[in-house]
Amino acid sequence: MFAYIIRRIIAAAILLLVVSAVTFAIFFLLPRLAGETADQLAAQYIGKNPSPEAIAAVKKNLGLDEPLYSQYWDFLKGLVSGAEYKFGPEPATCHVPCFGYSFKNHLEVWPELTKRIPTTISLAAGAAVLWLVSGVATGVVSALKPRSIFDRLSMGVALAGVSLPVFFTGALLLTLFSYEWPILDNLHYVDFTEDPLMWARNLILPWISLAFLYSALYARLTRAGMLETMSEDYIRTARAKGLVERKVVARHGLRAALTPIVTIFGMDLGLLLGGALITEQVFSLQGVGQFAVQAISDNDLPKILGVTLLAAFFIVACNLVVDLLYALVDPRVRLS
Amino acid sequence: MRRSRTVALTAAAAAAVLVVTGCTSSSKSGGSSSASGSAEGGSGANAATKGIVNASDKKGGTVTFEMKGTPDSLDPGNTYYAYIYNFSRLYARPLTTFNPAPGEEGNKLVPDLAESMGQTSADGLTWTYKLRKGLKYDDGTPISSKDVKYAIERSNYALEVNSNGPVYFHDLLVDNATPYAGPYKDKEGGLNSIETPDDTTIVFHLKHPFADFDYLVSAPQTAPVPQAKDTGADYVKKIVSSGSYKFESYEDGKQAVLVPNTNWDPSTDPIRKQLADKLVLKMNIDQATIDKDLLAGNAQVDLVGGGVDPQTQAQILQNPKLKASTDNAYGGRLVYMAINSKLAPFDNIECRKAVQYAVDKVSVQTAVGGPIRGQIANTVLPPDIAGHQDFNLYETKDNKGDEAKAKEALKACGKEGGINTVLSARTERATEVAAATSIQAALKKVGINAEIQQYPQGKYLTDSAGSPQFAAEHNIGLMMMQWGADWPTGYGFLQQIVDGRTIKPSGNNNLAQLDDPGVNKLIDDVAINPDKAARDKMYGDIDKKVMEQAVYVPLTYFKVFLYRPDNATNMVSTSAFSGEYDYLNIGTTK
Amino acid sequence: MTASVTTAGNEPEAPAAASPAKKIEGRSLGQIAWTRFKRDKAAVAGGVVVILLILLAVLAKPIESMFGLDPDALNQDLLDADLGGLPFGDWGGMSWEHPLGVDPLQGRDLLTRVIEGSWVSLLVAFGATLLSNTIGTVLGIMAGYYGGWVDTLISRVMDVFLAFPLLLFAIAISTSLQGGAFGLHGLPLHMLVLIFVIGFFNWPYMGRIVRGQTLSLREREFVHAARSLGARGPFILFKELLPNLVGPILVYSTLLIPTNILFEAGLSFLGVGIQPPQASWGGMLQDAIRYYQVDPQYMVVPGLAIFITVLAFNLLGDGLRDALDPKSN
Repeated sequence: MFAYIIRRIIAAAILLLVVSAVTFAIFFLLPRLAGETADQLAAQYIGKNPSPEAIAAVKKNLGLDEPLYSQYWDFLKGLVSGAEYKFGPEPATCHVPCFGYSFKNHLEVWPELTKRIPTTISLAAGAAVLWLVSGVATGVVSALKPRSIFDRLSMGVALAGVSLPVFFTGALLLTLFSYEWPILDNLHYVDFTEDPLMWARNLILPWISLAFLYSALYARLTRAGMLETMSEDYIRTARAKGLVERKVVARHGLRAALTPIVTIFGMDLGLLLGGALITEQVFSLQGVGQFAVQAISDNDLPKILGVTLLAAFFIVACNLVVDLLYALVDPRVRLS
Repeated sequence: MRRSRTVALTAAAAAAVLVVTGCTSSSKSGGSSSASGSAEGGSGANAATKGIVNASDKKGGTVTFEMKGTPDSLDPGNTYYAYIYNFSRLYARPLTTFNPAPGEEGNKLVPDLAESMGQTSADGLTWTYKLRKGLKYDDGTPISSKDVKYAIERSNYALEVNSNGPVYFHDLLVDNATPYAGPYKDKEGGLNSIETPDDTTIVFHLKHPFADFDYLVSAPQTAPVPQAKDTGADYVKKIVSSGSYKFESYEDGKQAVLVPNTNWDPSTDPIRKQLADKLVLKMNIDQATIDKDLLAGNAQVDLVGGGVDPQTQAQILQNPKLKASTDNAYGGRLVYMAINSKLAPFDNIECRKAVQYAVDKVSVQTAVGGPIRGQIANTVLPPDIAGHQDFNLYETKDNKGDEAKAKEALKACGKEGGINTVLSARTERATEVAAATSIQAALKKVGINAEIQQYPQGKYLTDSAGSPQFAAEHNIGLMMMQWGADWPTGYGFLQQIVDGRTIKPSGNNNLAQLDDPGVNKLIDDVAINPDKAARDKMYGDIDKKVMEQAVYVPLTYFKVFLYRPDNATNMVSTSAFSGEYDYLNIGTTK
Repeated sequence: MTASVTTAGNEPEAPAAASPAKKIEGRSLGQIAWTRFKRDKAAVAGGVVVILLILLAVLAKPIESMFGLDPDALNQDLLDADLGGLPFGDWGGMSWEHPLGVDPLQGRDLLTRVIEGSWVSLLVAFGATLLSNTIGTVLGIMAGYYGGWVDTLISRVMDVFLAFPLLLFAIAISTSLQGGAFGLHGLPLHMLVLIFVIGFFNWPYMGRIVRGQTLSLREREFVHAARSLGARGPFILFKELLPNLVGPILVYSTLLIPTNILFEAGLSFLGVGIQPPQASWGGMLQDAIRYYQVDPQYMVVPGLAIFITVLAFNLLGDGLRDALDPKSN
């Protein structure tokens, strides 16, 4: 078991390394594909009126004229052993993990990035709780009474849910509850530690718009999974044993039906933690996603790299946790 | 709300420092009205463009500034945005600044850190400023003229770190025998052409006479920075204050909190009031939320000052009570289309004239949001810049374009068969693309086929439209653009866009690539002419000469539509800063 | 491209027609599926709407020129310039000439722009689906059939792809290539870039499904038989295995198309997809954001267009899956 965990963690680390290398290569190559010179690259990081002197100075300071591999090597070195950067009278130390300094405002990337994480976690976690509870519950009830009115109605709503773009749902909710009937007016993100009630109040609309999409998906998945398991032999056996229906459903049916859901949940949560770009945009939440959008529009390579790696980390970590949980619960997994 | 809009608005207001003087300014310049800050504003629409609305000395409360996106930097030595030029004066005092008063008074320069305006030598090559006595930083240490010198060195000679701001001092001041490498690389030396004989005197030595030098030193780049406290890029996190407020906290991209600077001495400062107990600047708020907050009085100022969202605007316009609390001021900017005079067939003036006549300016005006968002323009200089003269060389009926004249010009150009060209615009700017669409439709009627091509704003001047080679390779004959001046004189407005010697391979602002000896000479002459009235007349002449070349199609004089909350005091759209409210003395009754 | 998919949408019909019907015995799998599909009213409705939408997309340009509709035509006389360029009247200033109203600032007809947007959305979605299915199928079959190091390599590559924050990459790539690349620019470039970023990063999902199916098919008798008759790898892969994978690929494609439509709309909404003045549904929604408090029309029109399209594909996809996979329900 222990060896399995170690093996998986090493694999995850290698995966992240590959992701970073590919990201680096893509963002190094893309501007060149679009035909930009190092001078033009440098000029982007200067204000309105780039003089040749400024371009030369910036190019040198950001290392834009160095080859790809040496830029990447510097990045890796900084990541594991910190680095020194010169954006002022004295060289500044960038501590481990050093994701470098923004090309745009020369501030350290990592502290700026980590400041955004609480917002994104708040958004993702709240929405996840909402959609898990509502999605799975709807799915189970629908599966127990297939073709009932509830089943038809909820599956209809679920289908509508997966068919609506999240920015449309979000904007609609905002129109209705923030402008037409301003019961949720003046939405600004408030930190949980500051005021938990305001935190929840101001996040409820984004939670709902995300959860609407996902709970629809999960309701459909749960229903399908439940229908399948409930027709299995061992359920019949359990019933034959004289178990109460509630226990049959809870102990046997749900458990098996939920297994694939947990896998998908791990992936979805991981993706969301890497930044719910569109939701953050619609509700102007300053999370990881907005950070990423800004970094991309500034063409700020160190920031893009940092946020990509963070997002990839969340995806990989969530999958890892799910797999490890399986290994704990299901002895067969350990063999693989 | 969306990335594109965030960027668009931020940069839209980036235009520059600008004075809105109204058409009459030139005739009245030098006027002696001295009611500094005492003009009693009434109320009602546009009241803050005529007087100070809610003039008050009430202390206390929190004034909230909200902004879309983030500024380039709050560091006074590393910014090029008009609203930061405006805002930074709360914590960074430049040598001179604009008077926080309405109308004519607001456009006037007043000494700030300096005790009077600059003294220039007979040859115009030396400018001397004397600092006020008893100036202190927020930590209680005295402010020295050496810190002003250092501030200019770090902002103009250390571009590898402070790359955002303009470099006028770098271009204008005499360099050392071996070019000065800036304070971060050359820690021992300094720029020899700035002398500080004592702690209250600073002397500048120029390469050539420059009549607008007093305007130049109104930039936040002259606000003092103590060398020992300068941490380069990180300085923005620990800015040392010389103004009426100091930083309590700063979180990049999120918010900044300022509190009264107890070491600021009102006796050294005739223009600041220090009313509010706290100033909060919230960044990255979407425009719809900012508008809501302004209407509800939860925020006092939209820092960017680009005006409310179209939907808020419509709500306000339909409600007379709300409309009474708005100001519709000139933004000191020209919305225009440049014609690439180096690219065939537009190297032929007749082809350029065809475009001038073909464009339907009313359609363009509607596309940018109607008369509220801009007055139809026929000159390069906006009416709010000293030296503006009203004329129209390419008159069409009701400004709606004239197909017949356009076709005639096309014929004279030998292009009766039509022209195929590319019209460039910036992706993030919805109204710019809308205006381009209007122009495209109008040009089509006379046989000019313009394909609209969009480029990201961040690279518009560096990579695409602002790169003559790129423009030539991609057949970009027409380019959408907006322009505002770095300081409110004809020189500040015109030089970058009409002087043939400013054409650069990248980051070119002279999009038309106009290189006319007559224009160039006038620009040189006006820079050294000490007589203001003569200068103002010459600006009008330059404007005419440029329009004779038909290289720029003026579309609209940009206007902003601002909402002013009832609980905000001392609101005055001096328009010295792109029509924004003056941020120095805003208080609150809340 | 659209045409080929049109037939793909009707695929279940093909086998049914191929084996001329004997009423009682010997119904082919396709026939059974078709019978089952026909009974599912929602799926049939979805299918009909999908066909109509595809027709609309294919005929968008001819329709426009037939009725003299120009999605970029300005009607600024319908706008109140003093109100900032909003149309006179509520709901986009609906009228007989402009049944869905016109947009602010330029007064372009919303109905025409929705029609124009249909072909852009569908072409990008189909193109991206085709791309990811092609890559996913080829690599998935190879991984499943050959096993060993081939499987390991392909599976690891899929892991890397799945670990990428897809949306972030899509935005980044679209942004950097927007101004022009590969000698292309404008609409063709934007559409190709969209097809590439959506399709290229999505293939591992298809890859995993095909690999799993291949793994189970590999040990079936007919494959063994083919192998013992001396058939070579490629032959087995594409002549024996592929036809048996058509069902799952078809179902998954039908379900991937709506996802891709949403993806395209999302990117255009973020301003990195199709660029104005070209009409696109996501782009129309992006414009609407500045007006939805004053007039929800601009949001509702493209929003409904997206909703109906995605819903129809989902209904069809669900129906196909249920019909082809007897185990479900």
